[in-house]
Amino acid sequence: MDGLTVGMIGFGVLLILLAIRIPIAIAMLTVGLVGYLSIAGETALLSYLKTETYWQFTAETLSVVPLFILMGQFAAKAGLSQALFTTANTWLGQFRGGIAMAAVGGCAGFGAITGSSLATAATMGQVALPELKRYNYSGALATGALAAGGTLGILIPPSIVLIIYAVMVEANVATLFQAAFIPGILAALGYIFAIAIVVRVFPDAGPAGPKTTFMRKWRSLLEIWPVLLIFVLVMGGIYAGVFTPTEGAGVGATGTFLIAVFRGGMKWNDFVDAILSTAQTTGMIFLILLGASIFNAFLGFSQLPIFAADFFQNSGLSPFVILIGMILLYIALGLVMDSLSMILLTVPIFWPIIAGLEFPVQGEELKLWFGIITLIVVEVGLITPPVGLNVFIINAMAKDVPMIESFKGVLPFFLSDAVRVVFIVLFPTITLVLPRLLAN
Amino acid sequence: MTRPTDPVGRVLYDIARGLAIAGGLMLCVLAALTAVSVTGRSLLDSPIAGDFELVAIGTGLAVFAFLPWCQLTRGNVLVDFFMTRAPVRAKTLCDLLGGLFYLAIASLLTWRMFFGALDMYNYNEVSMTINFPRWTTFPPSILMLGFLVVVVVYTVRRSYVEMRRNRYFDDASGLGS
Repeated sequence: MDGLTVGMIGFGVLLILLAIRIPIAIAMLTVGLVGYLSIAGETALLSYLKTETYWQFTAETLSVVPLFILMGQFAAKAGLSQALFTTANTWLGQFRGGIAMAAVGGCAGFGAITGSSLATAATMGQVALPELKRYNYSGALATGALAAGGTLGILIPPSIVLIIYAVMVEANVATLFQAAFIPGILAALGYIFAIAIVVRVFPDAGPAGPKTTFMRKWRSLLEIWPVLLIFVLVMGGIYAGVFTPTEGAGVGATGTFLIAVFRGGMKWNDFVDAILSTAQTTGMIFLILLGASIFNAFLGFSQLPIFAADFFQNSGLSPFVILIGMILLYIALGLVMDSLSMILLTVPIFWPIIAGLEFPVQGEELKLWFGIITLIVVEVGLITPPVGLNVFIINAMAKDVPMIESFKGVLPFFLSDAVRVVFIVLFPTITLVLPRLLAN
Repeated sequence: MTRPTDPVGRVLYDIARGLAIAGGLMLCVLAALTAVSVTGRSLLDSPIAGDFELVAIGTGLAVFAFLPWCQLTRGNVLVDFFMTRAPVRAKTLCDLLGGLFYLAIASLLTWRMFFGALDMYNYNEVSMTINFPRWTTFPPSILMLGFLVVVVVYTVRRSYVEMRRNRYFDDASGLGS
């Protein structure tokens, strides 16, 4: 049996293992190890495993990940989501649908200091849902806006998924964060626009809240200084190249810790809580990273990625047709899988294919452009049925909204995502303008 | 997840939790170290040399400390889609299978890392900037991996009992959070 056949069988077995609830990391490890053994032999495998775990867990490119997770956990304990929502609500609440818009705005703000969608949805849901209910917002609009708003946690840098992508395609994390910024802001604006359209069609879905004075609006901005401070310090520092993403994450984690203690009143119990969540998420991610690394070593031996790249390069298909095919596949995979696993599973095959095709964008910029497109389409999976995790979390918090209503409520935001993807595919400049500007 | 009620589970839970907290504190220290180093560099032009190496090596230790906790609290993500409506018995059977795979893998990795430690020691491998001897973090890492093996044995047994009793303990989805 040649390597290619083994590679394809390996991929097939992996999919079967995933379908029968084997944890993603374990499935990748199992197939990767057996595949490695069958192609490279026992001696090579046993020698490879002596230090592979160590090198994966101590990789300098990956130490940024736990620090950003820690930073997000402390941010969630710092009471910042309440401040962000209140401020956004002071500005937007008086418009029709304004409280839902404020929830999205709050998510965008929180997304600028955290890299996780679920945390953003959960913390913002806690503060915004009671307010939305008080003003009789429809359950569909309230839960839909928060579930979609949660994805801003990942779409607006920092972003854990984007870091992992950067490691896989050997791109610069800081440049990728720059590239994600404008598309992230567009995502927030797109969601706010979607709410505006919904309340125009169904005025009862989102009534206007009380008016606030101009003075109060400006004064409310003072409430969110810690968020601005952390964002300017961490992301500004990374964007400007003052420090590396790892250093930024270290500074950010320290900063959010101090804010959580002195402003959010974080006690020992909350601190332990934050640490244990960090431990669980970090352990989960690093085990998947180890699995992906061994699985990809096996795939590399099998030559499957090279074969796939050659196949598509000579297929005569337009590059854009292939790109659209990948986007559709991501959306389909997103129905059943989480975004991180999807990236780890597909990018080793997809990136060589993309790199071998003739796009208007080339080289390092192609990595940025494809990365941002991928980031958006894998995040869509968080709000689509049947396993839209963000929708589950918000729906469970709302208690009295039927699940079907929440998924209906997500639809306008899904359409907004679709429109955005089209724009970003058609106009690479949207993604590339900021990295180009900052490079000079 | 709440603390298990059986004596073995309670002990494992307490150790795993303790390790996770220790690893988390380690991360906090590394974050603070980075912050101090960055401040030192920008204000006084005196960074902590090779801080990024310390951060990477320390992160590795923390990750080893996190794995048992992650496994015990069902933190490893899986695809539930195709078996959402399957009976609990079928689900727990699959969990048992996954647990057995993990048991084999964790044992293999622990065994091999022992030889990795010997290599690092014999070749006296050090990190590039601060010459940190790499073998030093292997003994605690191997111990924690060994503890992971014990935890996986426990979760395999847990899946087995769940299968026999036809219900999940504690956390009904088995999906973790």
